[in-house]
Amino acid sequence: MTGRAVGETTGGAVDDTTLTQGDIEYMYERGWTDGLPVVPPTRELTDELLATTSRPADEVIGRLDHLKREVTVELAAINSVMAGCRPEYFPVVLACWDALMLERATVGGGWQSTSGPAPLLVVNGPVRQRLGFNSTGGVFGPGFRANATVARAIGLIVRNALGIVPHVFEQATQGIPGRWAMCIAENEEESPWEPLSVDGGLPSGVDAVSTTLLRTSEYVDNRHTGDPEKLLADFADTISRTGSWIFRNATAGVVFCPEHAQLLAGAGMTKDDVRSWLVARCGRSTADLSRVGKSLSEKGVRGDHGDDGDHPRDGFDPLFAENSPKHLLIAVAGARNAGISMVVRLFTPWSGISARVDPPAATRQSVRLDRSNGT
Amino acid sequence: MALPAGTLASHELMSEATMRDEERFDHILDPTGQSRRSTQASSAAQRLPALANARVGLLNNTKQNAAPLLAELGRLLADGYGATVTIQRTKPTIAFPVDEPTLKEISAVSDVVIVGVGDCGSCSASAVADGIAFEREGVPAAVICSDAFEVTARAMAEVQGDAGFEFLMTSHPVAVLTPDQVNARAAELLPAVIARVTEQALTETAT
Repeated sequence: MTGRAVGETTGGAVDDTTLTQGDIEYMYERGWTDGLPVVPPTRELTDELLATTSRPADEVIGRLDHLKREVTVELAAINSVMAGCRPEYFPVVLACWDALMLERATVGGGWQSTSGPAPLLVVNGPVRQRLGFNSTGGVFGPGFRANATVARAIGLIVRNALGIVPHVFEQATQGIPGRWAMCIAENEEESPWEPLSVDGGLPSGVDAVSTTLLRTSEYVDNRHTGDPEKLLADFADTISRTGSWIFRNATAGVVFCPEHAQLLAGAGMTKDDVRSWLVARCGRSTADLSRVGKSLSEKGVRGDHGDDGDHPRDGFDPLFAENSPKHLLIAVAGARNAGISMVVRLFTPWSGISARVDPPAATRQSVRLDRSNGT
Repeated sequence: MALPAGTLASHELMSEATMRDEERFDHILDPTGQSRRSTQASSAAQRLPALANARVGLLNNTKQNAAPLLAELGRLLADGYGATVTIQRTKPTIAFPVDEPTLKEISAVSDVVIVGVGDCGSCSASAVADGIAFEREGVPAAVICSDAFEVTARAMAEVQGDAGFEFLMTSHPVAVLTPDQVNARAAELLPAVIARVTEQALTETAT
């Protein structure tokens, strides 16, 4: 992916390096980058990505009518080239996008939110090895091209094709750390449980992506106990914080490290058992919530309702509204070298639907759009 | 209002020099799909000569304190200027512009409309889209946004084809104001609301 000779500028031949640097600066000036340099998306490179999918280049795969914007397969490909994706990553980008479009927030105002959410992308199936997605040490990145560029491609599509640019239509007060950088592969080899994509309705072993928008994340480091209930109580304490709890109920996820998952499974707990244990216990006393101005009114609105709202002061507000993977998502990723897991906060409940990654297509001629309007 | 460092408006992103050099970069595909600029035209409806007997519609977007702020503005317009609040509606989806049936319902019984409060990432932009929609229905609209959301509100005006659309700004934050503070805020906004929907010029800065 070096620069291409595209002719001369001021009469003298210009070497490829100069051209590439000029291209990169041009794309900065157009406001098309996320702050890091992007790969110049030429017709040739874009066509290489389009050749990996049977979907037509002009198929509309997302739209925000209130901003008069839409995303086509071709725009997704252009932004994926810019992100640094290899052509064979493109079916994964498309699956990520398909899964994202099933999320309530992404087709509402979520991208514009002051909460500044970003997707957690979880990859399952043999595609992880085939394309080199990291599922073990340092899984939240950086350091691995597939993980880094697929997540970045989604961010560039939102920025460029949907026009959600920071300070303009993107109004994040601070935004989540790791925004557009959270693409993890599940560590299926060291997980004692079925892949997340099975919770998302697909058979085990299928190439798939599951995704939902995150609001923040926080680690749980517990290398201190072999007691499964004490370990889960440590998770329950972190999940039950008041700071991220703004509506009647909240949603969360846990990306367990292999050590924690294996400890729980070794005690005979299935993924559903773990979820049920946490759902039954996560929450706060109404006194705690009242103390931080988040008691519940009769209408179910949290706020500073004087002393203790309409709930009895000795009551308990459960954090989760439902015992389901949509409200408490569980996956396994990371190295088997320590008991360190990640609690994540979902922006809205997960759709509960995973998207298949299309199998690698035989080399095919891509369908070209009419270029008479220019690009 | 001075914007903080690093704040960019979309139209400021490309320098003139870059525009001239653009042909040099024809080999680079546009990742936005926006090859043409949208055409802009004022949406402004005819202003009212005065508010006496004017029918006022209120469109509440559900943000904290939006309903009492609009209600107080309606009360001030009724008590001081002889207007009547004829309809109050609440948007079903805060992030999106008002739906067509609600737009028609309010427009049918209103001579002026007040929309607010644009006080979040998506709803500030959608409040401006609402205002432009009412103007295009022939109803002068006063849209109230928190001043923290000026840039996104302005960007939406451009997307909706009326980049010059005027909205009213009030100091951020609005959500945490007490009832007395909400009433005071309404009183502060009142001259700007009147100037926005009538032929009367604003004599002093009201926001």
